[in-house]
Amino acid sequence: MESASIAAHEHEHHGPPTANRSSRVDPQFLGMYLFIISEIMLFGAFFTAYFFLRVVHGDPWPAPGTAIPVAVAGVNTAILLSSSLTMHWALVSAKAGQRAGMRAGLAATFFLGLTFLSVQINEYVSLGWSPQDHSQGTIFYSLTGLHGAHVTVGLLLLLFANIRANRGHFSPEEHRGVEVPGIYWHFVDIMWVFVFTALYLL
Amino acid sequence: MQNPLRSEAAMFRLLLWTVAVAVVVVVIALIIRALT
Repeated sequence: MESASIAAHEHEHHGPPTANRSSRVDPQFLGMYLFIISEIMLFGAFFTAYFFLRVVHGDPWPAPGTAIPVAVAGVNTAILLSSSLTMHWALVSAKAGQRAGMRAGLAATFFLGLTFLSVQINEYVSLGWSPQDHSQGTIFYSLTGLHGAHVTVGLLLLLFANIRANRGHFSPEEHRGVEVPGIYWHFVDIMWVFVFTALYLL
Repeated sequence: MQNPLRSEAAMFRLLLWTVAVAVVVVVIALIIRALT
């Protein structure tokens, strides 16, 4: 009886054992979450430098004789937070099978993100001080630049999602190509809330 | 029921909570700054 069972089992299974896989999280989502955890550590290193400068070293913020345009950055923050709203709308539409809403949401998210990046670059141009002028400048450009690089990567992911959506991809059952970039985009927005609060408001 | 770990909605909620906490932190910081 037992030997018959083993023989049947051997008949069913050939080759190497199947790869171990979490039953709770899809590989695509697990990969994105692990990536986000590594990103939190990266941002954490930069925030450590910022708080060391202000709290441990006691340097003034911003550097004496310089100013940070809080109002413009505040409007830019509203633009970025709006883009998370449109991203969420895109995914809700994708799940409901509303293709027009999904395409409009993805396009709006992309252009709002592009606007944020343009305003950020314009801010760099008009600040009047550079990273090498003082340690405050180094930290400011490093943190906002690191975040800007993440927005750029997010825009690339959104560009692919937009192209795929316009080619008829995604359905209420299969929309990971919208959801995974959406998770990344919300993470980029969460990081901006930290950056904006620490660098511009506090 | 959808797994909360594979959800964009969970990340969106986290963003909203982050904004709410940031607003509270900034208000408290401004009050402390005004009083000291």
